[in-house]
Amino acid sequence: MADNLLRSAGIFVAACVCGIASGLFGIGGGVLLVPFLALFFAFGQHRAQGTSLIALIPPTGLLAFIAYAKAGYVSWQAGLLLVPGVFVGGILGSWIAKRLNPRHMRHVFAALMFALGAWQAFTAWRQ
Amino acid sequence: MVAGRFQTREDRSDDLVDEKALPGRDRQSVMSLVVLLLGLGVGVLVGLLGIGGGVVLVPALVYLLHMDQHVAQGTSLFILLPPLGLGALREYWKQGQVDLRAGVLCAFGILAGGYLGGWIAVPLASRQLKGLFGCFLMLAAVLLWRKPQPQNQRTACAGEEPAGG
Repeated sequence: MADNLLRSAGIFVAACVCGIASGLFGIGGGVLLVPFLALFFAFGQHRAQGTSLIALIPPTGLLAFIAYAKAGYVSWQAGLLLVPGVFVGGILGSWIAKRLNPRHMRHVFAALMFALGAWQAFTAWRQ
Repeated sequence: MVAGRFQTREDRSDDLVDEKALPGRDRQSVMSLVVLLLGLGVGVLVGLLGIGGGVVLVPALVYLLHMDQHVAQGTSLFILLPPLGLGALREYWKQGQVDLRAGVLCAFGILAGGYLGGWIAVPLASRQLKGLFGCFLMLAAVLLWRKPQPQNQRTACAGEEPAGG
């Protein structure tokens, strides 16, 4: 029971860290949540991903979004255009996920992310 | 005003793209198509990796649509408001790969943390924020890459049942 409580508290703290990243960088937070659940709480990869998805169903970014919207940092037009694609793509992606080796797909994605990050940091530094 | 279709308000952030970067209506509609396809691509990653998608969306908006870093992040947060992962979640749910309790806990944690993060990000200079984002992406990539015992995925799933329940 105490163990279970501790584990829950740990998950909550990890999620808070993900939330800070979410507000700070305008992301969903799942990109941190999935590795956190897998590394620290012994979730299987698919289970970590499923749990991350359910955590992102409620509008968890609402408070952060309000801060950005107040400052005028939202493009509604692009936002609305993106919605249908992301929804349909999500179904497609999870259908593919069931049929792929999760290790390979994670590695490809991690490499892509690292390259994107390095590019962003580089252009920011050169500005 | 026809030309004002994409500028209903004076607010610059309402434009789909930077005026200087892409003038003309034709290019505007081409960009709309690009945005639609971009959404589809991001969505595939959402389902594939169980993430929100913002991590790909933000750099895509910055580089493809020449958005300011703050606007890209705000727009990304906006599209994460509706439950877009619902379709993807259904597939995971059917396979019993969802920990509901942990998910609810995480939702509250992200909500609270998100408030703090937004509060930090808004006053920052765009350039600083861009650099920070880049560093964050690299860190997240490293975290995503390394994961213990990837070879026995199935046993790890079954083994965590007693600890989780």
